[in-house]
Amino acid sequence: MAEDMQASGPAEVDEAPQQRRVWRGPWRSVIFPLLVVSAIAAVIWWLEYRPDAETSVYDARFGPVAMPVEMVPPGMSVEAREGSLAPDYLLKTLDGGEIRFSDLRGKAVIVNLWATWCGPCRKEMPQFVAAYDRYREEGLEIIAVNVQESPSVIQPFVDDFGMDFPVALDKRGAVSDKYRILGLPMTYFIDRQGVIRDVFQGPFLERLQGTQVQGAIEQDELTQRIEEILE
Amino acid sequence: MAEQSALRSAGWLRTVRALDPFRATWRLFTNVRWAIGIISFMVLASLMGVLLPQVPSNVRGDGAAEAQWLASQGERFGFATDVMDRVGLFDIFHAVWFVYALGLLVVSITVCTASRLPPIWRAVSRPRKRVNDAYFASARYRFNYATPTAGSRLESGLRRQRYAVERYQEGETTYLFADRFQFAQLATFVSHLAIIIFLAAALVSRFSGFSNGLMIAEGTTGPVFPLTHSNQMQVELVDAVGRFSPEGQPLEYSSQLVIYQGGEEVKRCTTTVNSPCSYNGYRFHQAAYFGFGADVQVRDLASGNVIYRETMSLSDTLPSPHVIVRDGGGNVLLDEALVLTDILSTDEFVYYGRLVTLPDGRVLTMGARRGAESERWQLAVFEPGEGEEAVRLVLSEGEAASAAGLEFVYAGLQAIPAAFVSDLPLPPDVPAGDGARQVLVEMSNVVYGTGTASEGTAVVPATGDGPPELTIVGLQPRAQSLRPGESVQIGGYEYSFLGQREFAGIQVRKDRSDYLIWLGSALLIGGLLVTFWVPRRRLWAKITPARTYLAGQAGHLVRFDSELADIARREGAKLDEAEGQGEDD
Repeated sequence: MAEDMQASGPAEVDEAPQQRRVWRGPWRSVIFPLLVVSAIAAVIWWLEYRPDAETSVYDARFGPVAMPVEMVPPGMSVEAREGSLAPDYLLKTLDGGEIRFSDLRGKAVIVNLWATWCGPCRKEMPQFVAAYDRYREEGLEIIAVNVQESPSVIQPFVDDFGMDFPVALDKRGAVSDKYRILGLPMTYFIDRQGVIRDVFQGPFLERLQGTQVQGAIEQDELTQRIEEILE
Repeated sequence: MAEQSALRSAGWLRTVRALDPFRATWRLFTNVRWAIGIISFMVLASLMGVLLPQVPSNVRGDGAAEAQWLASQGERFGFATDVMDRVGLFDIFHAVWFVYALGLLVVSITVCTASRLPPIWRAVSRPRKRVNDAYFASARYRFNYATPTAGSRLESGLRRQRYAVERYQEGETTYLFADRFQFAQLATFVSHLAIIIFLAAALVSRFSGFSNGLMIAEGTTGPVFPLTHSNQMQVELVDAVGRFSPEGQPLEYSSQLVIYQGGEEVKRCTTTVNSPCSYNGYRFHQAAYFGFGADVQVRDLASGNVIYRETMSLSDTLPSPHVIVRDGGGNVLLDEALVLTDILSTDEFVYYGRLVTLPDGRVLTMGARRGAESERWQLAVFEPGEGEEAVRLVLSEGEAASAAGLEFVYAGLQAIPAAFVSDLPLPPDVPAGDGARQVLVEMSNVVYGTGTASEGTAVVPATGDGPPELTIVGLQPRAQSLRPGESVQIGGYEYSFLGQREFAGIQVRKDRSDYLIWLGSALLIGGLLVTFWVPRRRLWAKITPARTYLAGQAGHLVRFDSELADIARREGAKLDEAEGQGEDD
């Protein structure tokens, strides 16, 4: 107040404080602006990257599980690639049950990753239905792993197409991630020892000629692969 | 000697200061010319981004498709195409240099704003309340007049005008400081902040925006993310509706959606073009509508299993001439928009056609051919046999003619949805042949634009000839026509037409930058309103028994000289004796 009371002072008032300021030292000229930028960036980060609200509760029991040690022969790796033991999973099935991949040891297993929205998956599914009818007595098991769809969407498809084999629900996409799928459909052929013998991406179709589905191969190729894992 | 040494030392210090990187950066980013330079560069780049062709979004990221698109630009830009591509001129708004320039602009504006905040805040919170007497003779706005003999009422007058007034007394002299709209001076920062937020929104959108287009048929689902994703959602299209005016102009598209996540239904909503459906930060926009889909199912009769179920998109069209045939007595024998199923030929030309059997048993071939000159579809009518009694007619649209005791009217031409389908399972006894076997699918009497069109029933069809009808050519020698719900068994398979279906294009977007845009817009408008409409006014007064001196400051948009004169007039000052100085003087 004492300063305010003094009549002496500059003849001019700072009429344009918005003019460019001079260097006021690192704190006021650098740190302070950085803090301002950081504050804005923090607000934007919160707006943009804040975690999405959890809308679906996943059952933590389902997903990848450790394979029992006694089922892993010495020197064998557990990976989703040819020549390795297929990774183990516990998944819920469409009919309300559960399926664990390692429980199928001793059978030849086809793991087919699919979805109803996937056109090539729809088109090849009759081939798996036919193959299952033909080879199930010889020890073939097919697990149709549906990728992140709702049972209410899957069930009509399964009924229409007569899929008698287990339909497992990969709700979180955990199987898809572990199997490193590049697209749908993707099919793994696993022999009776649990070893992945072949990996095939794309659909198996009844006739190669006349189809425009890229990557499709003839049904005979499916038969050949099944017979290899049944040996 | 000592002085010389001191001078050398000072020079050395100045050199070090000049080399200080912080200081140099500071000077750069607080330089208005620098900011204007960046803004000019951004404007120029944006202009080029508008004028030059840019890589389409559906091509970006697909190496082969990008190369093909780039090759198509080679015809236009020649040898410069490759250089332009390397520089990023074909994808300017995604180019690294553009993003860096945007970032520099953000930093520059931020630094400028931050550098000006302390002095302005000081001017707002701790204004200079006393000025030197000399200021009353040099201020931009000033006024002096004879102090009223009854005493000054300036202080109370200023308070009535909502000035915050402080009073200081020195002997017989009174000093006043009056301030109005004190915090309006900060509005300029609000406007600057808005610009920063706009630029930040652009960066947010550039780096984290998500957009994916889905084309879904009624009764089917589509995934939001192309494959798997921790936030994967499925979108089911329950019903797509396109409403049209009687002239065929689209009035509204809407879609009823169900959204699933983690295998559970999480949202059921209706989306329109202007009112997207939102869930968990994602927006589902109605982006397109297509009304001509046919839901077809094939069942293997031996197993009872469905082996094919698809909603075919009939995106091609084929001509369908509307023909009226009357006998000699004027009785109508045929009044129908013909679905053409075969490729026929005469000695002179090839045409799309079909056999038509009249009620009296006469068999004709009718079809459509392109006119040699007009390129319009003509009606061709032929009757097996030779001589005068056989029909041989080629009519243009709207024409009528008589031949062999019959009158033919080519009433009009429609285009009906059609498609060649390559993956429809053929009956087992149909040889596959060497080449691709395709079937032709045509849908007549199509209906769209109603909420129940997808059911294929209880709607008024476009032609008034009944519900939609699906004609399949290629399953057997004769074309097969099916109405919704009808089936036909051919060679061990059952083919069913389940109904007409509509498609909806759903654009799924997640871009929180739109919140920033709204915030920035509000701040910009608010800042500008305050800056222009209520700028700050500061007034200093020196009141002596003889004269009253006023000095003031205000924004450029304020005619403060007039306001000072008004203040003096309310005081009772005689303006003819007053002396004033305004900005215009």
